[in-house]
Amino acid sequence: MRPEIREYNYDWLMGSTLKAAAAVPSGSKKETEQTYRYIPNYRKVAETFYSAGEPGVLALKLLATYFQNILTAHDRGKPIAATTFCNSPVLLYAMDVVPATFEILTALGGVLWKRGMFDYMDYCCEIGMTETSCSSQRGAMGAVMSGLFESIDFVVCDTPGVCDTNANAFAFVSEYLNKPFFQLNYPSSIGDDRSQNYHVDDYKAMIRFIETQTGKKLDYDRLAEALTEVDRQDALIADLEDMLLLKPMPIPPLFNLALYCGRFCFSGHPEYTRLLESLVRSARQRVSDGVPGLTSGKENLRVFMCYIDHYTVDMNFYNYLEERGIALTGSILTRNFRDNNKYTEDMPGSSYGINLSSPEAMLDTVAQMNARLPMVRSIRGPYDRPGMWLEESLALAKITQADCVIYNGTPGCRNTWGMVKPFARDMERHGYPTHIMYDDAFDDRVESWPGTRERLDEFFHIRGLL
Amino acid sequence: MQVFHDAATQVQCQSIMDWKQSGRPVVGYTCSYTPGEIFHAADILPVRLRGIETDGMEVGDTYFGPFICSFPKCILQLAGKGKFSFLDGAIITPGCDGMRRLDECWRKAGEDFKGIVPDYFYYFDVPHKSEDHGMSWYMDEINALIEGVERHFQVNITMDKISAAICEFNKGRRLLAEIEDLRAKDDVVVSGTDVFAATVAGTVMPREEYTEALTAWVAELKKQITSLSRGKKRVLLIGSVSDEIDLFQLIEDTGKAIIVGENLCFGIRYEGCEIPETGDPLSALASHYLGSSVCPRMYGKYKERLQLLKDRINHSKAEGVIMQNIRFCDLHGAENALFKRDLEAMGIPCLRVEREYGPHIDAGRMKLRINAFLERIDARKNPQRRRA
Repeated sequence: MRPEIREYNYDWLMGSTLKAAAAVPSGSKKETEQTYRYIPNYRKVAETFYSAGEPGVLALKLLATYFQNILTAHDRGKPIAATTFCNSPVLLYAMDVVPATFEILTALGGVLWKRGMFDYMDYCCEIGMTETSCSSQRGAMGAVMSGLFESIDFVVCDTPGVCDTNANAFAFVSEYLNKPFFQLNYPSSIGDDRSQNYHVDDYKAMIRFIETQTGKKLDYDRLAEALTEVDRQDALIADLEDMLLLKPMPIPPLFNLALYCGRFCFSGHPEYTRLLESLVRSARQRVSDGVPGLTSGKENLRVFMCYIDHYTVDMNFYNYLEERGIALTGSILTRNFRDNNKYTEDMPGSSYGINLSSPEAMLDTVAQMNARLPMVRSIRGPYDRPGMWLEESLALAKITQADCVIYNGTPGCRNTWGMVKPFARDMERHGYPTHIMYDDAFDDRVESWPGTRERLDEFFHIRGLL
Repeated sequence: MQVFHDAATQVQCQSIMDWKQSGRPVVGYTCSYTPGEIFHAADILPVRLRGIETDGMEVGDTYFGPFICSFPKCILQLAGKGKFSFLDGAIITPGCDGMRRLDECWRKAGEDFKGIVPDYFYYFDVPHKSEDHGMSWYMDEINALIEGVERHFQVNITMDKISAAICEFNKGRRLLAEIEDLRAKDDVVVSGTDVFAATVAGTVMPREEYTEALTAWVAELKKQITSLSRGKKRVLLIGSVSDEIDLFQLIEDTGKAIIVGENLCFGIRYEGCEIPETGDPLSALASHYLGSSVCPRMYGKYKERLQLLKDRINHSKAEGVIMQNIRFCDLHGAENALFKRDLEAMGIPCLRVEREYGPHIDAGRMKLRINAFLERIDARKNPQRRRA
């Protein structure tokens, strides 16, 4: 690792940057303009968030709070759990644990920081982690394992059987730092009684593990409060998801990122509710004004990202969509599969509901909710089985009137690279032009952003889409 | 010995072909979590699927993406080329992400290459934990598998037949354990290559035939007095799945090393452990195949696996450990790094090497690194030679 990277802890550096960035728009427009002169490396990112108005600023504040929570956790007597994006933080918050979600921490460094997360990723390889493992964990992991991050207290992951590289990364961190480890494990099926019961049994085991680590029993009143907040949030998300169906779409591409990033960071937290309320307000205003979400004012194309977005530096991917007039109908990360969403009607067993009537009901709620987070929901079994990736992607592409489908991931994503070619062929057979991106969503060294952009343009051009 | 080498180096070996000619079915499986005893109890030959004898990758690369380990790709390649035409069924297990996607890739390849997907194509969902609910899930899976096999092949699999199958498989396991003891002696009379061939053969040969051949071979080995280990480094081979006799030969052909043990998916790791012959046979199978699994897919059990490795090192008196992983096999690749850290700290020299499965396109590089590693062990034992 380069010595200068060791000058500052990653969490402190990012937390301070975001805190300052979130405060800038509180000043006058002139002050903001003046600030740009001093932050040439961050200008493009800052402009992207500020130009989104209140939701953009609230998103920055939420992210700043996320880092501050981590930075102050130990002073406040709270343990930090290393965890993954597809493990809901609701239970962790209810048990007074601060989550450090590796993929979010890596993605933020990627989009906000000119130098990206490369040094941290490489550090993992320096100490023996395979270079072929997923970059989404390796970024934050490198910071944690090199001691440039608050020390974590234990590890909780939930991807064994769904994404080996993810689970393997967490197992590695646990062993390398000698921290306690727990894995939630999902069967290949979903929606049937047997799988549902397995989710609950496994979730109970996770609660026992966290109780052992924290020395505190799960407070069901607190869990009920958090789930009530989730209920409120799900209603707002449903509004946003409904508006993703409108043509032209009133949701700017950046809102997608804010929607799922907020959920992964603060599900069940009022912080996220405030952001969602602002996103809904802003989108509704556009609907009533008859203005599309794209700043260009013209929607040329509707794209469905069947896996994840691209987290290249300077928010380039989102800005590219804006430039080309491409409406983003969402990615696998966008939807929450709550039972009040229309798209779940055609997929029996795909959704979860919220029931607070008893502790058992709450446990069932949170276990089923967790099992329906992105990736662990629909990439757990063979992709062409009912309720799995193909069915989900077709349903979402159809309902959002997508013109085409794009796969983007990381080379470390063994679970999708194992079958994305036949998957893409099936999508094409159903009439959706489908493009497979060979880049790395978190690591521009695999394919430079200009290269990726050129390939996207080529796809849109050759398929007659743009 | 020749029968073992034939079985270990040919996908369509004579034993399988003879069985097939007798009109009895053959079912392939991809992972060590599939209890072969169930098929044996139904007079079906269980054959572990392998990727040897591939001479290209055009089929594998068509359906799998580029960032996938070459082992499942080689299996798919062979399937696409009709090399598994003898199969009446195939069991796919989510051993790892690459292997579980063989399910879709094989089925989808079947749309383009007619007749390559066996009639009985089954997804055997093995959990990643062996605690209560994990074990219970696995038991349900075993029961469902039995029902599926009974229905498809019109057979009756009774508990008595499964118990008898466990007893038959255990005979081989005991014999392999005897070989392990022979390898642990100061003077080793059998090469690692031969032992591994015999072990791999056990995953494809009809069990009675295998037991008979193994019994004869072990008796022969016990009479051997010529030491093959004098002047050679005793090494242990561990890591990613391997059924490649060539890999063992590559190491032993240096003339400087003998493989005295391995911790590989195809090796004695599983084949050398007995299953209780009394009590409920299904519980016994589940406890063995899931409960005692030492595969890194069972996350969070590193310390148990490290202990097992230390025990093997001690038992075999290994002087060094060669840790290989197939490219894109992160499970073994990452765990090898931890093993290396912990074993080197105990003074055990380790070599980590990444490679491809199948045709040894990088045999030269491998040989170079293995030779350097053996010299390192030598220098450690003889410091004055290092100074010179």
